[in-house]
Amino acid sequence: MSSEPAIRCSGIGKAFQLYAHQNDQLKQVLFGLWKQFYKEKWVLHDMTFTVGKGERVGIVGRNGAGKTTLLQILCGITAPTKGAFEVNGRIAPILALGSGFDGLLTGRENARIGAAILGLSRKEVDARIDDIAAFADIGPFFEQPMRTYSMGMIARVAFAICAFADADVLIVDEALSVGDEIFQRKCEKYISDFSRRGTILMVSHDLAFLENLCDRALWLENGVVREIGEPARIIADYRAAMVAEEESQATGAA
Amino acid sequence: MLASIPPAYLAPFERAWRHRELIRAVVRREFISRFRGSFLGPAWAVLAPLLMLLTYTTLFSITVPQLSAGMSVMDYAGGIFIGLIVFNLFSELAYRAPILLHEHVNFVKRSIFPSETIAWTATIRAFTYAGVAFGVYIAFRLFTAGTLPLTIVLTPLLVVPFFLFILGVVWFLMALGAFTRDVAHIMASIVPVLMFATPIFYRLEQIEQMSVSTAWLLRLNIVGDYIEMMRAVALDGHVPNVFGYLIAVAVSYAVFLAGYQFFMRYKSVIVDVI
Repeated sequence: MSSEPAIRCSGIGKAFQLYAHQNDQLKQVLFGLWKQFYKEKWVLHDMTFTVGKGERVGIVGRNGAGKTTLLQILCGITAPTKGAFEVNGRIAPILALGSGFDGLLTGRENARIGAAILGLSRKEVDARIDDIAAFADIGPFFEQPMRTYSMGMIARVAFAICAFADADVLIVDEALSVGDEIFQRKCEKYISDFSRRGTILMVSHDLAFLENLCDRALWLENGVVREIGEPARIIADYRAAMVAEEESQATGAA
Repeated sequence: MLASIPPAYLAPFERAWRHRELIRAVVRREFISRFRGSFLGPAWAVLAPLLMLLTYTTLFSITVPQLSAGMSVMDYAGGIFIGLIVFNLFSELAYRAPILLHEHVNFVKRSIFPSETIAWTATIRAFTYAGVAFGVYIAFRLFTAGTLPLTIVLTPLLVVPFFLFILGVVWFLMALGAFTRDVAHIMASIVPVLMFATPIFYRLEQIEQMSVSTAWLLRLNIVGDYIEMMRAVALDGHVPNVFGYLIAVAVSYAVFLAGYQFFMRYKSVIVDVI
């Protein structure tokens, strides 16, 4: 069914619950039906968009615009406060790379668990573990406890797991910046290769890369979609807005 | 996706089955990381209960003879040991459940980790240790009494509902513990009290001889019921009262379902507050 979109969001909104005291959280659970113990902080408002099968969509926006929250919702990590969404196919989320790893276990053992989280069976993992090791390319460190790894090595293992997860939808959050030049190239190449067979939704501050890769760009500002469309146009607008802001700050400071 | 939705009373199993590979991988990890860097490794799983058994046998059979009235020292020690295996299962998880989500905060907040499986892995791990301890008991019994009661084959019929009961409790405490750290403190003060309200060092029938109303109150403690039934099948060679057993199964299953519902209801909120 090619008409079925890969990602469909209708009216997604997300409010975090801000509590003045930690104990209010418990009160909310116990007495929430009668009284509200938190203040709502809306970080996403009424997001409606679809991403077609095989489409590559880049998301740009400033820090705190809601980009990560949006990706977390689509991955099913956190639930939207209102609205509905659907994602068709297996997701490989490349979010905060490697934060789910256990420092006592080796890279290989962590890779097995990471792959199981993504939904791979033991047989599938067995068949792929050598490819994962080769892609991560960290040599004998793969058999060492992960607490001995550098940030870049952790990111390599994490990306390698997602690369072999057989995903239909790749959700990438500005995660590639920790690796070295060679590894970043490798990831970028993987992402461009992947774009020939799967759907990509990607946040990045590397605007040139997004402009090259994507079919569409989405500009998120203060939790709303400010613009969506042709990447060249959106990214030019976004750049212009950044420059304008910089200038107004400079004059404001002077 | 048009996945058929299973009825509510089967939903927890369906979720666990779907994530079985993950549960297996995480259980494996827990064992590996527990024994890594220790010289004796898995032998500790046997040594710890063995030491406990020897200590309780010597201490209690000497110091509290009136509790063991009418029983041989070995029978009494075996009874205590079964009681402790079952109760330790409960207490270990009651202490650990409220902090489980805090321990796995990176998994829960930063990856697509299905957090309800944490209860499965923690419970499976605890039951594995209890199983090893039960193996020690069987060896002890064969060594001291020479035989085992035939009714011991009924053990799985008790283990399964008890497992579900514990799982329900873990889900409930896990969710509650994510909202406030007080739950961990509450458990730390309740569990020791509960230990004495549970027939570990004594038997319910001894209380019944003294006061029927107290005995009825103690019957409400389902952990104690399981201990008594466990003793019946693994030590005394009796088949437990079928009516009592069915009630225990029904209550356990209800706790299991309620715990699951509670956790799933607050799961999405927990991610934001933890």
